Amino acid sequence: MSIEVSNLTKKYGDFYALDDVNVSLPTGQLTALLGPSGGGKSTLLRIIAGLDTADHGNVSIEGVDATKLPPQKRNVGFVFQHYAVFKHMTVAKNVAFGLEIRKTPKAEVKRRVGELLELVHLSQFADRMPSQLSGGQRQRMALARALAVEPTVLLLDEPFGALDAKVRKELRDWLRRLHDEVHVTTVFVTHDQEEAMEVADEIVVINQGRVEQVGSPDQLYDEPANDFVMGFLGEVTRLGPVRLRPHDVEVAVTPGHAGAFPGTVTRALRVGFEVRLQVELDPEFGSSDPVSVVLSRSHARSLDIELGSKVWLTAAIGAVTVPAMVAV
Amino acid sequence: MLEVSTPVKWLLRLLAVGYVFFLVAWPVTTIVRTAFADGVGSMLEVFTDPATVHALSLTLQIAIQAVVINLVFGVTISLLLVRYEFPGKRVLSALIDLPMAVSPVVVGLALLLVYKPNGGWFGETLAENGIQIIFSGTGMIMATCFVALPLIVREVVPVLHEIGDDQEQAARSLGANFRQTFWRITLPSIKWAVVYGVVLSLARSLGEFGAVKVVSGNVINQTQTATLLVESKYESFDQPGAYSVAFVLAFLSVICIVVVSLLRPKEIHK
Repeated sequence: MSIEVSNLTKKYGDFYALDDVNVSLPTGQLTALLGPSGGGKSTLLRIIAGLDTADHGNVSIEGVDATKLPPQKRNVGFVFQHYAVFKHMTVAKNVAFGLEIRKTPKAEVKRRVGELLELVHLSQFADRMPSQLSGGQRQRMALARALAVEPTVLLLDEPFGALDAKVRKELRDWLRRLHDEVHVTTVFVTHDQEEAMEVADEIVVINQGRVEQVGSPDQLYDEPANDFVMGFLGEVTRLGPVRLRPHDVEVAVTPGHAGAFPGTVTRALRVGFEVRLQVELDPEFGSSDPVSVVLSRSHARSLDIELGSKVWLTAAIGAVTVPAMVAV
Repeated sequence: MLEVSTPVKWLLRLLAVGYVFFLVAWPVTTIVRTAFADGVGSMLEVFTDPATVHALSLTLQIAIQAVVINLVFGVTISLLLVRYEFPGKRVLSALIDLPMAVSPVVVGLALLLVYKPNGGWFGETLAENGIQIIFSGTGMIMATCFVALPLIVREVVPVLHEIGDDQEQAARSLGANFRQTFWRITLPSIKWAVVYGVVLSLARSLGEFGAVKVVSGNVINQTQTATLLVESKYESFDQPGAYSVAFVLAFLSVICIVVVSLLRPKEIHK
């Protein structure tokens, strides 16, 4: 295991940012720390990097106890949400910073910087100032800068959070490909479940300072450990005694299915290729909130569903369900 | 922006220009005219007087030493105020502003109370060990440091806030220690604020009068600075001499301000 975190606790006043967190992050993989804002994931990453200190607990990196080491002795690369570029240095100088601190010979620095700029596709911008780069380019430069020192682990704190949606998507794919090329153990923080599912080999879900679940994207999606994980990884709706994904609700326009819940379509919204329905269950089936259902457009058309249609809902066979929490 | 009608706009401009003109520009130009009233020759003649030359060079020496001391402490205090949390931080911050509020004469008297060789709280002990602060260069530098203390801090603190500590943290994570981070990252980022603060402190230090007058003793050829010389010349009815020295002081300050305004815009457009 590359990063071993044990019994980590961090308090700000009465607020537990991290509450006795234990987690192992495997070598050579791309791991996402996923969770809502303020859940403690950034704090965990910063403590691993040594930029924050924990109140209790230990961090070890590649078998070395790093709990008391200052950040410059941990050999981690850190990429910040807002890039943290050195504004007064050229792109090449930014990338060279870590190497120059390490007193690397000039020729070697030049060669490495050339290679890294090639890797992040910024070769033609070597002599520009960071202010002349776009957000995406700045973040790629920050990445090259972090990789220059050949870190044991690469830590990224919401690396694409400040970028617009399109660039974010491009960089996300690019990060995945980059990781497949350089294989450095990488941990990134995100609150975007789609980002985590697409990019990561493994996801650690963190909420309210605690680890809710650790697993591959498929495991998390198919076997959520609890209500929170299920809700955070995708849309969830309630059908009778269980909670499940809206696309796992089967819709029939005739009665006769065992245990089906009858109801009426109260809203129908078409978004691109899918149709989202809100179904009000008949009063004897109790639940106050309408059930959300997602169908493909062609399926909806074949069933001839429109506003006010009478439908019967069942959970699809093999659907992921968790027992619904008791309504308050 | 707020839209203002044309006559009002002109009225406001006139008011602002008129205010600055009658308060600053006109009196300062009068000094220049009076200094050169009898031609450049008589103006330069003043500088053949050894007492004048001594006073001017003493002023420069004291101002430069005070600025260097304030530079080191000013930048350190600014870093302390912005980057660290500690008990008493607000008190320290308020104390930094004190010299702005307290009259320099009061500063001089306060220093006198503490450091005078006979009866000072601390001065007696120092005098017994052969260290004299009052009526010497040391006391004058201390007084000048005191009055110019806030200038660098108040320039640097907002810039440190603005740049945040992201860049410093990035440097740390890339292996730089505290010293390397300061010289390579922090200082280049606050460079212009420091330059501006230094020039302002220099201008302020050159012009310091009240505090220095109290602690210096005003001994000709020893502890008489240029501002003290201007006063004593004026009071002994040597008005041309007073205006000539006053002109030099005003000239140095204007140079300082011009240098800053030349440096600044370049940086902003970059």
